[in-house]
Amino acid sequence: MNALLVLIPVSLLLVVLAVAVFFWAVRQDQFQDLDTPKILPLLDADEGAELPPSRSKEMSP
Amino acid sequence: MSAAHAVWSRPQLAAQVLRRRRDGQAEVALRVPTLATPHQVLRLEQQLLAERGVARVAVDTLARRLRVRFDDTATPLPRLLAACDAAGCPAQPLAATSLDDARRREADESLRRLLVAGIFAMQAMMFALVLYLGVIDAVDTLTTRLFRWLGLLSAAPVIGYAAWPFFRRTLAGVRARRAGIDLPIALAIGLIYGASVLSAVRGGGEVYFDSVSMFVFVLLLGRHLELRARHRNGALGEAVADAAPLVAERRNADGALEPVAVSELLPGDRVHVAEGGVVPADGLLESANVQVDAALLSGESRACTLRRGQAVDAGSVVLDGPLELRVERTSADSAAGRLGALADAARRGRQAQGADDDPAATRFVLRVLTLAAATVAFWLWRDPARTFDAAVAVLVVACPCAFALAAPATMARAMAVLARRGVLVARPCALRALARVNHALLDKTGTLTEPTFNADRITSRRGLEPRQALRLAVALARESSHPAARAVARRAGGLELPQAREVEVVAGGGIRGRVDGRVLRLGRAGFACAAAADDEALWLADERGALARLPLQESLRPQAQMALSGLRDAGIAAQIASGDVPSRVRVLAARLGIDAWRARQSPADKLRQVRDAQAAGDCVLVVGDGSNDAAALAAADVSASLAGASELARAHADLLLNDGLGGLLLARQLAARAAQVLRQNRRWALAYNMAAIPFAALGFVPPWLAALGMSLSSLAVILNTLRIAAPLPAAAPPALPRLRERTA
Repeated sequence: MNALLVLIPVSLLLVVLAVAVFFWAVRQDQFQDLDTPKILPLLDADEGAELPPSRSKEMSP
Repeated sequence: MSAAHAVWSRPQLAAQVLRRRRDGQAEVALRVPTLATPHQVLRLEQQLLAERGVARVAVDTLARRLRVRFDDTATPLPRLLAACDAAGCPAQPLAATSLDDARRREADESLRRLLVAGIFAMQAMMFALVLYLGVIDAVDTLTTRLFRWLGLLSAAPVIGYAAWPFFRRTLAGVRARRAGIDLPIALAIGLIYGASVLSAVRGGGEVYFDSVSMFVFVLLLGRHLELRARHRNGALGEAVADAAPLVAERRNADGALEPVAVSELLPGDRVHVAEGGVVPADGLLESANVQVDAALLSGESRACTLRRGQAVDAGSVVLDGPLELRVERTSADSAAGRLGALADAARRGRQAQGADDDPAATRFVLRVLTLAAATVAFWLWRDPARTFDAAVAVLVVACPCAFALAAPATMARAMAVLARRGVLVARPCALRALARVNHALLDKTGTLTEPTFNADRITSRRGLEPRQALRLAVALARESSHPAARAVARRAGGLELPQAREVEVVAGGGIRGRVDGRVLRLGRAGFACAAAADDEALWLADERGALARLPLQESLRPQAQMALSGLRDAGIAAQIASGDVPSRVRVLAARLGIDAWRARQSPADKLRQVRDAQAAGDCVLVVGDGSNDAAALAAADVSASLAGASELARAHADLLLNDGLGGLLLARQLAARAAQVLRQNRRWALAYNMAAIPFAALGFVPPWLAALGMSLSSLAVILNTLRIAAPLPAAAPPALPRLRERTA
């Protein structure tokens, strides 16, 4: 039973954390366009090769 | 290009479009009219993020909009616009007010509430599970009480935050003295949660925190799916509103040009519009002869020549040479604004009709509440001690979970099935109406016919081989989604195509780009090589002049014949309403075997035809593709538009047919099927609830069984909706191969 006293607060903490992460994601517009990003990696990014590669990591999905 | 963008560094204009954030960064909304393929999105994002100080780029493909957060001291707005040009997607800044749109806030809020409900409902179910198992393991009473309180705690955000819209709308409804569907839902949620809290505090009786949280979650899920469908339509609508230009060049008394905001224009001002520009306000032409394209208004992209003193409509695109005009009416009451307003009014009228909250659901929930009241009365008479528990059990068992889920789940599934077959549904209610349609009104140009191009009839000049000319033309044509460009691009078969670079699509003109190292133009005669007007063909030219003439002709769309005979078989009376001349309409009607046709129809005429048919009791389907069809589309019971349609037409269409007119028959077939499945689902939900209520009233249903029953009945509804696609032919492999074809 003692395990419960640790695990229950931990689970509640995780829930609050999950909600916080999700609210952050909504604020960051991660759910605005659900159709385009899934296709993007499959395209031949021929133009992308002309750009400095160091910038590509900043690309938001 | 950058000279035109330099205007945006002027402080008074920048203030109109930039919004300053608290962290010092600026935010701007851009309209990108040519944005269509994921390929362009990728290119645009990469190009913008390569600029210094650009923090975030958010693309809304449907609304053709872009939001950019950037440091405008590092990258001024003109440079941002130049970067868009470099990506082949010219952009115009939008007024800063369009940054905070209500649609987006509503969607975010709905999503947040849905997630809170989902996560905390799971938590509440986890704690409830311990209680259910505890009955068997005989966990001590202290633990039981602890878990009841934990359930109360987990369900609190669901009731207090996620379910708040139900309570808010109920309050508003009560104040306005009308009972909507939200009243019984809010009542059920409030009563079950309140009773469970009471039980948890007292330490006796049953708690239903898991059931009530799940109930809220499922209801929110259904509403969220509906909201998303509605917003897709809204996004398409905004793409049109944005088309109005923001800056105009005003000629001052001393003859100098001054960029001013369009909102500052007054009647009597003289305005200068460059070649390829959009006319900002209605006015009278002061230049000699100018060619303009009023596609935004007429839907039929065709050049017309205007003379000095003639009226020019706002929204027209200038095809050759700059023009000067004297402003008569400003943008709000200009022709484009009025046409949009006509369609909006028709649309609002229809929404007011169709906005009835589901009357079946309201009836259902009210019946349940009556039953609960009857249970209370019975137990007060038999055994007052058991009244409370029995009444709550009835409420829980009778929760219209499966019932409320039936409509949104069926519609969402039907929309997904249709989307995979190339039919996009913008308004879910339209599917229900489609099953009842008995009268169809079809536009001609662009709807029943399309421009086609015969590769054998190319005439080339200056020693270029026709095949070589075709290769260059296709390389450019595949960069645009204009029907004429697509007609050319379809002839790509077997050609090894060069990649076009620095592509720019000029609205109402054509496509400009660099192919094999030379700058080429493909489009109208006036755009490509300043030749005489030639409406029958596209021209290909380089800097030194014309290279080839690509003749176009009007021919029947491939599926038109099949779609019309399908409509006839389904008992739908088809009629053609075209803005074209009678001779051409008559020939086409005869070919399709349609007796009822009308030519030279204005937008108001088409609207009147729809209204007349509706007044006669018909359920009317309108299929059209031009902006001149917009009002009729908006007024129709069901409206459909094709992929190449004008933006205004698409904004008012309930169905968007990407794979041709055949989609119409498919949609009708599926609509009938969906209506059938919906009836089944509702009957099942009712049967389940009605069968369980007597047991609950007699006290035979413990909380775990109630929760299980709620889940299983909802699951049955969802599984049943999966059967919608069964009678249809198998879907073609989805979007990806098509996409490659178009972009690679």
